[in-house]
Amino acid sequence: MSDVTIHAPTSAKPSPFSARSLSPYFFILPAVAVMFAGLVYPVIQSFYLAFFDWRIGTDMDDAPFVGMENFVRMLTDEGVRESLWVTMRFGFWTITIEMFLGVSLALLLEKPIRGASIFRTIFILPLMVSPVVVGLIWRYLFDARIGWINYYLGYLGIEPQVWLGDADLAFFAMVFTDIWQWTPFIFIIVIAGLQALPSEVMEASKIDGANWWQHILFVKLPMIKSILIIALLLRLIDVFRALEVMFIMTGGGPGRATEVLSLHIYNRAFTTQQLGYASAIAVLLIVIVSLLSLAILKMGNPMKDKADI
Amino acid sequence: MATTALKTTAMAGLTALLMSTSAALANPYAEYEGTTIVVSWPALAHFNAAEELVEEFMEETGINVEIDALQYLALRDRQLLEMSKPEGDYDVVSWVVMWKGEYVNKGLLTPLSQFFTDASLVDPMYDIDDIADAYLQNGGVVGGDLGYLPGPSGALYGIPFGAETSILAYRKDIFEEQGIEVPETYDELRDVMTQLHEAGIPALTSRGQTGHQVTAAWLFHLAPLGGRVFDDQWNPVVNSPEAVEAAEFLRHVANTGPIGIPTFGFGEAAAAFLQGEAAMHLDSLKIAAMSRNPDLSTIDGKVGYALHPVGTRCGAETGGFAMGIPANAPNPEAAFLFIQYMTSKQGDQRMVELGGDPVRISTLTNNTEGFDDYPVVAEQLPCADPNWRPLIPEWNELNIDVLGQALTQVITTDDPIQPIMDAANEQIREIMEREGYYIWAEHRGQ
Repeated sequence: MSDVTIHAPTSAKPSPFSARSLSPYFFILPAVAVMFAGLVYPVIQSFYLAFFDWRIGTDMDDAPFVGMENFVRMLTDEGVRESLWVTMRFGFWTITIEMFLGVSLALLLEKPIRGASIFRTIFILPLMVSPVVVGLIWRYLFDARIGWINYYLGYLGIEPQVWLGDADLAFFAMVFTDIWQWTPFIFIIVIAGLQALPSEVMEASKIDGANWWQHILFVKLPMIKSILIIALLLRLIDVFRALEVMFIMTGGGPGRATEVLSLHIYNRAFTTQQLGYASAIAVLLIVIVSLLSLAILKMGNPMKDKADI
Repeated sequence: MATTALKTTAMAGLTALLMSTSAALANPYAEYEGTTIVVSWPALAHFNAAEELVEEFMEETGINVEIDALQYLALRDRQLLEMSKPEGDYDVVSWVVMWKGEYVNKGLLTPLSQFFTDASLVDPMYDIDDIADAYLQNGGVVGGDLGYLPGPSGALYGIPFGAETSILAYRKDIFEEQGIEVPETYDELRDVMTQLHEAGIPALTSRGQTGHQVTAAWLFHLAPLGGRVFDDQWNPVVNSPEAVEAAEFLRHVANTGPIGIPTFGFGEAAAAFLQGEAAMHLDSLKIAAMSRNPDLSTIDGKVGYALHPVGTRCGAETGGFAMGIPANAPNPEAAFLFIQYMTSKQGDQRMVELGGDPVRISTLTNNTEGFDDYPVVAEQLPCADPNWRPLIPEWNELNIDVLGQALTQVITTDDPIQPIMDAANEQIREIMEREGYYIWAEHRGQ
């Protein structure tokens, strides 16, 4: 007889406060601390500041508490209304065109054709340029006096245009610049998704007799739906954060033609020094972006549909 | 006889010794030798030129100077943040005149009277009266009835450095070709612009970019045409007939000037003139130094200068920069010695030699050779208007947010001007009401 004692497995759960249960939390604590300091705290601080009339150069402790006044003022502020409208129009045009162009180009360049890799590399170059430099480049290209665009239009017999000094043309210039820079972003993530699709399914659809359009519309695009939603979500968040290019190219003008909401917040905070009021508008921005993001995720949560990637 | 001679010699020797000792003791810089001061100023032509003078200051005084030169648009935020700390890094800050009211209102600057009354610091030869009065009032004084100009409660917070007024620069060759006389009044200027435009020559270049720039362009014409932003009771009057006339004139400028005015800041407007794309430039005197610089200008030698045309009154702008000492400066005495050195008669003269702009009348009158603009500037300064724009803390919001938007509409559309200015006037009133300007009027039942 062996003297080894075999213990029956105990059904009692370990204490939730035992070192073993708590140890995972200790491991993620540094990441949580960094996230809190860099992400959660600024957001909470913005909410808090929105209830004060605080101006740069004065002590925050002396800032008068104004309750909901900043939020009430925001509702009747023409600047907020106009810049929100500019942002929505800007987002609509840029995201629609970028999604269309990015997906189309990814479908065209997906196949291993000769020279495709060179074209792909050139195509993603705009992504590598910082937004400030993009703003400077296109500001000079669109310049009415010395810009290349007017120069070449002159060869076509077209009168020089004040691209950045006319409300409609300046808005068009912003949309064009954004498309130039961010279409490659859609392209790069869509092409990655397309190339990861299982070849068996593709072959099966061909054997079943699907033509080129059917193959794309009913097989490929549904299979990369999650990727398209992620691309849409990221671009939407980016549009609401966009500031640098408009700041450099037009400063939001002429009038408020290119003043997106984040640029309006910047101007309120640092030009007119009303940090409390700017914080209230920033709260509005956070709410809008959160609601729109939730709506997009409702269309199909990419986190849940891992199987189709 | 010999005793007397000996006494005389001894006395002379003693006097010489005392003089040399007192001279050594009187070196005002000795106490601050080895101190490092930090100066915040903009990366603009005048200040770039001043860097060589800063080197000379360091060699001569033993005081070290670190320059934090920032892009003009980033300067105010940085200075405000630095001056809001219990002890800041800056000993000297250079502000554009529009910011002085806000800085003083927030208690961020030190009054300079405490230094100017300290015999160990102040140079008896400094002669502050020689500094152009309009510059001193506009850039350095805070207080008085309006809050930003001299008066019973006015105090000096800064010394002008890189200051300016407006003059008319014109192309002598084009005027000669077209047989045009240099305009002296606004009526003449309007006619000249039309005549040049009809001849296919862009007439007058101007700032026009939304915000501060387009407002500045309108203000250039507002003062000479007899308008103001506020009346004596702080009621906005930007919809007065004079103000609307100034806006109409600005629209005429945009319609007859070079292409792109709605996108022009000072740099672009100046570039259009310096590259030969406009016949006139009515803005800061800085255009003169720029037109002499072959790196910037293709029209050197072709430019004439004249007084800012007169409307119902003569009223050139005053603006540019001034230097002062933050209330939280670590080394305020050494900072004062630096400001005094840079704006002294010798410093001002060196600035001219280095390509900067003078602030002293004597420098202007002593350097007429080679500087065609200096006699014009000297003649212009007595009618430079230190109140051509209100330098109140709220000005930034009115300037950029309200007037900047309204005037963009004026120059980029054909909409009737009076309703645009009426709406702007109403918005300004609301802001002034929010900021408490009419509380006393209501309290008194006015």
